[in-house]
Parts: sequence; C-alpha cells; structure tokens
Amino acid sequence: MAAQPSSAGVAGALSLPLSEGAAAPSGRLRRTLKITIPAGMLLVIFFLCFLGPLIFAVPGPTYTNILDANEGLFSHHHLLGTDQVGYDILSRILYGGRASLEIALAVNGIGMAVGGFFGMVAGYVGGWRDAVMMRFIDVLIAFPGIVLAIAIAERLGPSEFHVILALTVFSVPAFARLSRAATLRVREETFVVAARLSGTRTNRLLLRHVLPNILPQLITFNLLGMGIVVVLEGALSFLNLGIPSPQPSWGNMIANGQTVLTAEPRLVIVPSIALFITVLSLNLLGDGLREHWSAR
Amino acid sequence: MSGESAATAAAQSAAAAAPDAAAATSELLVVDGLRVDFHGAGQHVRAVDGLSYAVRRGQTVAMIGESGCGKTVSSRALIALLPRTARVTGSIRFEGRELVGLPEKRMREVRGAEISMVFQDPTRSLNPTMRVGEQIVESVRAHSDTARAPARARALELMRLVRLPAAAERFDQYPHQLSGGMRQRVMIAIAIAGEPKLLIADEATTALDVTTQAQIMELLRDIQRRLGMTLIMISHDLGLAATFADEVLVMYAGRAVERAPTRTLFEDVRMPYTKALIDSIPRLSDPPHMVLNVVAGQAPSLAALPPGCPFAPRCPRASEECRETEPPFSEQEPDHAWACWHPLGAQDGLA
Amino acid sequence: MSASAPASFDLREGGEARPRHLGRRLAQSSLLRVLGRRLLAAIPVMWGVTFLTFLVMNLVPGNVARSLLGATATPAQVNHYEAQLGLNHPFFTLYGNWLGNVLQGNFGNSYSSHAPVTSTIASQLPVSFELIAYGFIISLVVAFPLALLAARRPNGIVDRISMAFSMAGVSIANYVLAVVLVWVFADVVSVFPAIGFVSIGTNFGENLRSLTLPAIAVGVPLAGFYTRLLRADLLEQMQREDYVITARAKGIGPWRVIVRHALRNSLFGLITVIALNFGTLLGAAVIIEQIFSLPGLGNGLIQAIGNHDTPVIEATVLIFALMTVAGNLLADVLYAVIDPRIRYGSTAE
Repeated sequence: MAAQPSSAGVAGALSLPLSEGAAAPSGRLRRTLKITIPAGMLLVIFFLCFLGPLIFAVPGPTYTNILDANEGLFSHHHLLGTDQVGYDILSRILYGGRASLEIALAVNGIGMAVGGFFGMVAGYVGGWRDAVMMRFIDVLIAFPGIVLAIAIAERLGPSEFHVILALTVFSVPAFARLSRAATLRVREETFVVAARLSGTRTNRLLLRHVLPNILPQLITFNLLGMGIVVVLEGALSFLNLGIPSPQPSWGNMIANGQTVLTAEPRLVIVPSIALFITVLSLNLLGDGLREHWSAR
Repeated sequence: MSGESAATAAAQSAAAAAPDAAAATSELLVVDGLRVDFHGAGQHVRAVDGLSYAVRRGQTVAMIGESGCGKTVSSRALIALLPRTARVTGSIRFEGRELVGLPEKRMREVRGAEISMVFQDPTRSLNPTMRVGEQIVESVRAHSDTARAPARARALELMRLVRLPAAAERFDQYPHQLSGGMRQRVMIAIAIAGEPKLLIADEATTALDVTTQAQIMELLRDIQRRLGMTLIMISHDLGLAATFADEVLVMYAGRAVERAPTRTLFEDVRMPYTKALIDSIPRLSDPPHMVLNVVAGQAPSLAALPPGCPFAPRCPRASEECRETEPPFSEQEPDHAWACWHPLGAQDGLA
Repeated sequence: MSASAPASFDLREGGEARPRHLGRRLAQSSLLRVLGRRLLAAIPVMWGVTFLTFLVMNLVPGNVARSLLGATATPAQVNHYEAQLGLNHPFFTLYGNWLGNVLQGNFGNSYSSHAPVTSTIASQLPVSFELIAYGFIISLVVAFPLALLAARRPNGIVDRISMAFSMAGVSIANYVLAVVLVWVFADVVSVFPAIGFVSIGTNFGENLRSLTLPAIAVGVPLAGFYTRLLRADLLEQMQREDYVITARAKGIGPWRVIVRHALRNSLFGLITVIALNFGTLLGAAVIIEQIFSLPGLGNGLIQAIGNHDTPVIEATVLIFALMTVAGNLLADVLYAVIDPRIRYGSTAE
C-alpha cells in the first residue's frame, strides 16, 4: 500500500469516507474512545463478577435470612437490597453475572474454535466437502436458538452445562458460516493465490495466510455473539429452563421480579440494567473494533 | 453555507461589473488558481495546486496527464462533485458566474443543464437496478417540467442520437444487458439530456476497446458539433488528444505544466514532460519488438511533494534551480504556456 | 451465463413500458434455474431438520415415561409405560414411523390434552404469525425513515440519535423490554392490556391492541438492527459507488439520489439479512408470547415443555424449523425476482 505513488494519494483521498468530515484528528480519537470505553466497562464488569465477591463482603447468593426480606436499596448490609425471600440482590447480581459470562465465554470460545475452524477449511477447499458441510449448517441454523435450547433443556433438565451445550449447537454453525464467507473472500486475494501457486502446503497456507486475515471478523463476531448468548441464556433462565433456581441468573431474577413488579420494580430493574449494560458494552466494543479494523 | 451566499452574491455582482466581462462571452469557462485540498484521517493532500486555464465556446480541450495528476479532481470540482473531505479554493467562472462556493441548490441547477460529465467506467457509473431508459428519462426530467410520455419520447430520441441500435428495445433493459460501448452511449445520452453548454468527458473511452474508443470519440465530436457544445476531454492518451482536441492542457502533480493548441504542442513542445509523453506514443513506423519509451520514474505522491518543480526528479534536464524553485506557469509565446526553467527549443519538436 | 434470445417488449405509447410475456420470459430465463436450484437444496435441509428434531426429542426416551409417571416409578413400570406409548422400538423404526406420519400430516395426540396436535398447532399458528408480522412491520416502519434520515446527513444530529437508539435497541433483550413495557403501559398507565389476546375474528381493534405491546417488544430490537444495517449500506452506496456520482451529476435532488438510487441497491443486502434472521424472529415470538400469555405456537411450546408433552414439543419444534427454511427460501425467491441482474441474467451480444 505504501509503495503506490500519487495515485494512491488522490485516489485514497477520493475514497475517504464522507463521515470523517474535516475533523481528522478527532476522528481517530473518537475511534479509539469507541474501543477503550466499552473495553474498560467490560473489564469492570468482569472484575466485579469474577473477583468482586472475593473482595467485597457480600453474603452468598443463596444465603437467605427471612428476617431480611424486602430490604430496599442502600439498606444496612445490602447495597442493593434483598428480594422477597431474603436473597441479597447485589450478591445475586454478581454471581448471576459470573454464570452468564462463563456461559458466554464457553459457548463463543467453542463456537469460534470449532465453527471457525470448520468454516475456514470448508470455505478454502470448496467442492463437495464444502457443500456437505453447508447442508449440515443449514440444518442446524434452521432451528431458532431458543427453540432448540428449550427442547434440549426439557429433555436433559435445566443446568448450566446443558445451557452451554444447547447454545453451542447454535453458535458453532453461526461461526462456521461467517468463517467460511470470510475465507471465501480472502482466498481470492493475490497473496493467497501467490502462496498457493508457489507450492505452500495447505496447512501452512491456512495458518499463516488465511487465518490472520479472517481473525478480525471472527473476533468482532465473537463479541457480538457474546451479547447474543448472554441474552439467550437470560431468556432460558427467565423461562426456568436455564440456570436452575436457586442459582442466580439475571434472567431468573427478572422472572422472579416480574411477580412483584408493581410493588417492587427494583427487583426487575436492577438485573435488567446489569444485562443491558453488559450487552451494550459487548456490542459497542465489537462495533468499535470492527470500525477500527476496517478503517485501515 | 448561508454565510457564503452573501459573499457569492457580492462576487457575482463584482464579476458582472468586471472589465473583462465583455471578453468573457467567448470564454465559456475560466479557471483561475484552482486548489483542491483533501483533509481526512490525519492526511492532507493537495490534489490540485493553482490550476488556471480557459476554454472558449465550441472548443475541444484535452486535459492530459498520468493517473493522480489531478485532472479528474479538478473537473469534478467544477460542479462540486467531490466528497465532503475536499476543500475547493480559487475561482471557477462559468459564463461569468462564479461557481466556487455556490450553494448546493444553485449548483444542482448547473449540473446536467449547463455542465455535464461523462464518466470513465460505464459499468459502475450506471445504476445496475434501474432500466437504462429510465435513467435517461430521469436526466431529461431533472431540469424541465416534462411529463412522463414526452420525456420518454425525448429519451428515445437521445438514444437514437447517440446511435444506440434498437433503441426501443434497449430502453427497457438493464445496464448489464448492454455491452460496454452501448453503456457509454447511454452515459452520453444521460449527459446531453439537459442540453449542457459544456460537456466533460472524464476518461470516457479508457475502459473501452480501441475500436469502440474511436466510435465513441467520433460520436462525441459529432454531438458536439450538432449541439454546439464545448468539450473538455480528460485522458492520459496524448494520441487521442492529437486526433480530437483543438487545444491540449498537460497536467502534472496537480498543476498545469503546458498548454497549447494541438499542433503547436506537438511541433513546438517545450516542457520535457510533455516531450516524454509524446515520445512514449508507440508509432506504426517504429521497428517491431522495440522497447517502448516510458517516462522514467514514478509520479510523485501528492501528500509529500518535493520543493521546486514536481517533475524535477524524473527530468533529464533538471538543474539546481529546478529543484529549489517552482517554475511559474505562464504564456511565454502567443497561445502557448508552460512551466519550465529549461524548456526545449523549437528544434526539439515534432514536424 | 448464456445469452438468451432478446425478449420482446411492447412499448405502449405514453406511460412507462411494462415487460410483457412475463411468464414466457421467466420460463426461458436463468431465474427459474436459480430458483429451482434453491428449492432442490432446501429439500435435504428439510429432511435433516426432521431428523434432528426427532433425534433431540428422543435423546433420553426414558425421561418421558419416567417424568410422566413420577420419580417413584419402578423400572418395570417405566418399561411398561414406554411400551404403551410405543417408545421401545429401535430408533430408526421409530423415526421412520414418525416421519411417515408427519408426511401425512399426522402428528399424534397431545399427552396432556389428548387432542390431535395438528388442530392445536393450526389454531396457534395464526396468532404467532400475526405477532411476527406486526413486529416485523413495526421494525421496518421505524428502521427505514431513521436510516434514510441518518444517511442523508452522516454525523448529523439525526444520525447520532438514530445510532444511539439503534445501539440501545440491539442491546436490550426483548423479554426485558416486554416486562418494562408491561410495567409502563399496562401498570403505570393503563393503555394496553398486559395479558390476554383477542382474536381477529372477534374484534379487530381489540386484537391489535392486545398485540401492540408484544409486537413492540419484538420489533424494537429488530428495528435497531435493521437501522444500523440499512444506514451502513446506504452510506456505502452513497460514498463508494460511481452510479451515485452519475446521479448527482444529473442535478437531481439529494433525496431522490438516496431513495431512487442508493436505497434500491441497499434493499438487497437488507433482504438477505432479513432472511438470515428469520429464525431469530421466530424465536423471539416464543418468549414474548409467554410473557403476554398469547395463545401462539411459542407459548404452546412452553406449556408443552412444562407438561413434558412430547408430541406437541416435537411438532412445534419441527414447525419452527420448517418455517425458518421456508422463510429463507422465500427471501431467496424475492431476491432473485427483484434483482435484475439475476432476473435478466444475460448480457447483450
């Protein structure tokens, strides 16, 4: 790119996105902020959910003292109050968040590794192998995520592990499809064709040439996918088919809070905000990274 | 924008009162000190640097240069078709009216109706999901209150004017159903629908094969004569200019470096760059399998121009003075302007 | 792509030319070939869907009998009940029988209500369909104007606001939105009903009213998604496509450029995404129906889950998946029909 002379200058200038406007330096700043702010937010969330209970003294998420029930915000021992049964809300938010995030990490990790791998291979080799794999993916993707997850939960019973299993069935094909599409695009790039013609072995080609170029897309999809999984897990727990009571999940907290919505909206609002902020941060980060990587 | 309309109005009335207003009637377009800067993503590129030229009514002027020399940018600046990252300064007077700083609404009245453009790649320049005839009709109705039926008839008329075979059938087809030459004819039909006074053909034939190229150029010349249009043809092909243009303007690195009537340019070339361009035209008389003459080196990056003459790094006649001071572009012989400290003498030209 | 014979056009004088002999042209065209291929590809997928559904539902067949009998059932009782329900045959026999029945439209009877599953589903389907359609319409009604206004002036006020709104819309879970909507509009302010459904036949106005909050819950996250997508595509067209410059060079107004040129071409990307997203849209119906107690497929599924009502679950899951495949196919058809490059595939000689 740097080797091209003046034509790059003018052509590049002509192809600059309109949205940059005249404020060039602040464009870069804004792009960096779009990454650092949500990333920071996520760090805080992760820190609170995974390390928070170890650092702050909160009662266990399932510890209950019926005398403490229905305390409001900022009450004596309970920063966010308690619910009708006496569970500490703050503790349940933190532990529930931990469960949701664990699930999201697991599901997307497996999805990216397995789905990303198969999609890349299929996209690269093409032919009947590719066609067969696409059929498999089409079948799996035909089931709305929540429907399949519900069915599996019904058969196997609700548990964190079953949620991960069910959502992975949804996640792997999604990653495979994305990875395949990205690979198809990269495959025709000059440097890949050149490497192939010069006799590079397929494995090496895939690892050194294809993978680094589809990785940015996989990562942004991963982040957006985490938001989706968190929401889906919440939905399952909301229906009591996900994380089983009394284990906390933002989803089942919202479901529980729904029953006393008029009297104590706090029980719905607090987990809803937690869910919203987490998903928002994931989406913002995925978006910011995508903008950053495609602006190069 | 509204602040500028006051300034524009003032400039316009000043232009109308200017002493050369009488002379301006034969000069359709006067460009003076045109500068186009691009700001974006931390970069600052000056694509056009102090370009000045004039075009008389009915003329055909060729703007010649390598890719990136600013010829396309400068022509798009005429009708403000540049992205928002572009800043245009200087003066562009069309029929005495100042176009720089013109409010967008006024500029839309100019586009298509007074000044039109034909673009390089008709495959990409036509809307792939709109029928060809409809795109021409849109151009017809853009500047007149024509009803649909007469607009259609006019569009068909235009299609016949640009010598599109089987116009009635082609009318309802989509661009991908037409060949490259036919698409370019459609582009021309679109451009002349508003009966513009000035037509800019921006590398209009570059994407076409040689035979079609000749046909399209002939067509342009024919239309120009019939409609009394003025034509600016932008190209990197000096040979094309030799055949079709009355006057040639050579550009390099965003500025004009030589301007002369065609014959003069070829016979009396002054600027070494122009000479190199002329020399690089392959001739039938050359022995076969001869190494082609190319202009040595590469065009400079506009983002990092060296001081002095921009052609100096590649010029065989360059001196210290060339590398330090930029030569001014001035008319040093009747109707022949150039920007060079060591121009070639009359004996270096072609007969 | 092979060149087809030039089609005959009838150009009526006055008015715009309409392509005649559409049927004939379709028959000759590459369009039908494209569609045929898509249909053919969909068949193994649909079969695969039936297989996977059956597989999932019969992962642990013992569960069904056991859970219906209760935890205290002895293995002998479970086996006996299984035989009664016809569950103790080898897997593929069971699958074959089931598939055979399904192809004849027989989904068996519900374990709990003993009514034929088919009739239950038939009554639920219109409700879900209406909810989804309503939500989908809301999403488009919101997304189109926002995206157009945003793309008209990038980085302007409307753009920033619509970007913020769409980001929020995408980040909010539809069930959370549903609960909040119920609280605000049914509890705090009594404008819409919290639960309960009035069918179209009974009273159209009430029907719409009972579906409005659920449709908003479905439509808003979708609207956020479509807005971002459409805006991005519009900007891409406006900034990187040459035909937009040609359009501007004609001197036509900016709205005309956006709508008649850029939008037309952006629709393709949008349709593709809508198709890919169809499954998610259906899935959204499930939880929303439950929250609002709407008698649709999704709620039926959840009730059946609670009752371990295998035939109903099986049938509902299958229907969901088949609808997704059908929706994708429909979008493919639509795409092929409106994209003139596919519809009139040939290039002229």
